[in-house]
Amino acid sequence: MKKIEAIIQPHKLDDVKEALKAIGIDGLTISEVRGHGRQKGHKEVYRGMEYQIDLLPKIKVETVVTDARLDEVTRALSAAARTGKIGDGKIFIYDVLEAVRIRNDDTGEAAL
Amino acid sequence: MREQDPYQLLRGRTESVDSLVRSAALEYFKGKFNPPYVMAAVGGYGRRELFPYSDVDLLVLTANESDVPAFREPLSEFLRVLWDAGLRISHSVRTPSECYRLHEDNIELHISLLDLRFIEGYEELFRRFSQGLPESFRRHAPVILRHLVSLTRNRHSKYNNTPYHLEPNVKESPGGIRDIHLLRWLSQLLPQQEFLGESLAELTGKDSAQDFLFAVRCFLHNSAKRDANLLTFDMQDEAARVLPTEPTQPEEWMRTYFKHARRVYQCSLRALEYAEGQDTSLLRQFRDWRNRLSTPEFTISRERVFLRSPGVTLRSADAVLQLFSFAGRHGLQLSWDAQRRIRQEIRQISESFRKQPPSWNAWRDLFGQPHTALALAEMQETGVLTAAISPWQSIDSLVVRDFYHRYTVDEHTLVAIGVIDQLLAATNGGQQRFHELALEEDQLPLLRLALLLHDLGKGITPGDHIQGSLSAARQVTQIMGTPQEGQTAVLFLIERHLDLSLIMNGRDLEDPATARFLTSQVPTQEDLRRLTLLTYADISAVNPTAMTPWRLEQLWRVYALGLEQLTRELASDRIHEELFDGNDPSSERTLAFLDGFPKRYARTHSREQIEHHLQLAVQSKKEGVAVEISQEGGVYLMTVLTHDKPGLFASLCGVLASFGMNIVKGEASSNAESCILDLIRFTDPLYTLELNPEEVNRLQWTVECVVRGSVQVSDLLRRRRPARRLANDATIVPCVRFNNEASDHATLIDFVGEDRPGLLYDLASAISAAGCNLEVAMIDTEAHKAIDVFYVTRNGGKLEENEVEQLRANLLRAAGQT
Repeated sequence: MKKIEAIIQPHKLDDVKEALKAIGIDGLTISEVRGHGRQKGHKEVYRGMEYQIDLLPKIKVETVVTDARLDEVTRALSAAARTGKIGDGKIFIYDVLEAVRIRNDDTGEAAL
Repeated sequence: MREQDPYQLLRGRTESVDSLVRSAALEYFKGKFNPPYVMAAVGGYGRRELFPYSDVDLLVLTANESDVPAFREPLSEFLRVLWDAGLRISHSVRTPSECYRLHEDNIELHISLLDLRFIEGYEELFRRFSQGLPESFRRHAPVILRHLVSLTRNRHSKYNNTPYHLEPNVKESPGGIRDIHLLRWLSQLLPQQEFLGESLAELTGKDSAQDFLFAVRCFLHNSAKRDANLLTFDMQDEAARVLPTEPTQPEEWMRTYFKHARRVYQCSLRALEYAEGQDTSLLRQFRDWRNRLSTPEFTISRERVFLRSPGVTLRSADAVLQLFSFAGRHGLQLSWDAQRRIRQEIRQISESFRKQPPSWNAWRDLFGQPHTALALAEMQETGVLTAAISPWQSIDSLVVRDFYHRYTVDEHTLVAIGVIDQLLAATNGGQQRFHELALEEDQLPLLRLALLLHDLGKGITPGDHIQGSLSAARQVTQIMGTPQEGQTAVLFLIERHLDLSLIMNGRDLEDPATARFLTSQVPTQEDLRRLTLLTYADISAVNPTAMTPWRLEQLWRVYALGLEQLTRELASDRIHEELFDGNDPSSERTLAFLDGFPKRYARTHSREQIEHHLQLAVQSKKEGVAVEISQEGGVYLMTVLTHDKPGLFASLCGVLASFGMNIVKGEASSNAESCILDLIRFTDPLYTLELNPEEVNRLQWTVECVVRGSVQVSDLLRRRRPARRLANDATIVPCVRFNNEASDHATLIDFVGEDRPGLLYDLASAISAAGCNLEVAMIDTEAHKAIDVFYVTRNGGKLEENEVEQLRANLLRAAGQT
């Protein structure tokens, strides 16, 4: 099993949710996060004053999938989140040792 | 279809537990244990209110401490038997002297003794112990009261001091069963206070709040098969089906719940206040100083407003509104007596609002108070809000099921208004920017009114609540007599109140198309500011943690984006299309006048105002200039129309400076025929015009002479004391930004600095001295901060790089920054 963690632009969340739902991925965890990549945020202007926004609001999407579906899910997520501009975000993939469904103690892939 | 009578259930369970406890005590103590002992019920068990899955609280009393070790083994067996019988026992072993002694770290012990009841054991020991209790309570009452009040206040605070939760806890929430217990305990600790006994009688009689709440709690326990007290949405559905004599809709059944919870909460608050008043400390002295705020109509005592002549005050809707405005001005709740009188007279008050509705000024006064939310909450609790605004009934205690919302719709609305009140009063960290934005808002009454009405539609047209809210708002603002401009502003806010959230979450904020889309929906800075504040309040009122730093940042970005775009559009977005009926012959003349002005002008002025300016423009063609000075509240408005010429704006600012006036807002632009329209709002800090009305005419005449060239501004200013320059300890360092990308044909100058009389004249003179033409100016002041936007051209085009640097230096020098 693999955990996919994607940092995306906030306005792409609906597209990502729809794309994952379309390929049968229903289990998601969404968090509101702030951060920056290589561009270190950007400058914005208010009342003639420029100010630096170092930590830009982003959305973190997390889901755990079977090894067999990893590529498919990663591709779908990436395509849905992409705008082609700097700030699109990143996807990280982790190994998952075990998964347990709390309700009935299912384990492994059966718990997904 | 109703489930079993809750009292029967509780008594029945109590009796069966009594029987178990008695037989276990007889088996393990009687005859086998010499020292005297008592097995007593305390807490809910003592009150004979054992809910199906409540804990059983036992007190084991021994005569002496030396007897306690001998108890351990039989007690252990005794408890095991009861646990095996399925009871959850909570017990303590004490001696009478231990119970009489004050335990400040365990006040719950003393409170539990208030409900003491004999089960089994030595009756003589129990009799002697009980005889000593009243004296113990009397001696320790102040401390017990203080802790009881503190525990209750903390509990209420955990639930944000409101009973109106979508999924309330029937035991612990404000207005829940615990508050009835509170009244019971206080009436035992303060037996001389009749009102406590009366409140308790009201809440525990037949078909009372207790009757209802007990039935709910029994139902919850039986459904969950455990000590569950949360009235979840699922439980509400089921309860509405089985508890009433006929099944009812969950929303209606919850309204009954809230009706009872409201009354319990009000009684508990009154009791808490009384108990707190027993404290004759500095707090009381602090409270008493407020008595100085009393008026001929209202007295203040102990932080509450009393009516001097209820018969007079409650007779007219205007007077009733004044009462709540007074409460909102000083942040004071009504006295219990005033609340009671209002409830008694609510029918008559309702008639007064219907037959002689208060004027818009009275409503405006109410919505302009620093504690408007408190005043409206008082109106809500006394029924006046529904009497005054009949559509409010549709959202009174309305549950709309939503994962994120914590409160009923009416409570959410009042919390949202409270957010604005708090934002104006203080700030912390991340809210600083919004605090400053709120301070800029000069139409707070309209903003609060829009918030009050924005969700009415949830009770009228749930499928499309915005339309329902708009329809109700039209009706309400009509009855209130809201001026047309105000009504338009309120309806706009209601219609758009979800837009900024949608943009925050669903649009790419770095795409220029988003900014253009935003300003197409929100066309003026004033609308944008109000909508941003409304969105801030709406999100913050969803639940206490809804306005996260993330959302705060996103909302601010949307606001800043919109403001930047609107500023850019000042110069580029001009009127070039027909706005009026093509069949109307006068429209051609109006269109010619409007042609070339920024679109903002048409968006922020009514047809009547535009027509009036057109008349002034015609006059200015004949006489060279048309000047008009009027007063709007504490601010004067000078309207000037004339043909454009170099240095004109600076001259107008100079005249005002020479009279000692302070410019707070201004707009200057010209149309395609080079007719300039300057609208300058100013204050009169030395009261020159107010004390010498003829000076208004002299000011007007002076402006006309300056425009015609017969008087020089420099001569006027020579005669005045120089304006105060930037002091060393001034808080705002001036800042100037130039932008040659904002407009196709002009350079944008943004200025922020410390405001002072004469500042605008100095800035405009610097622009004029640089040979620049002022195309558009937007002047604003927030407290002591001047926020000015100029679009300038030189020789018909944008400024070159070297011209920018030179002008920057001159502007900073003019602002006092060397």
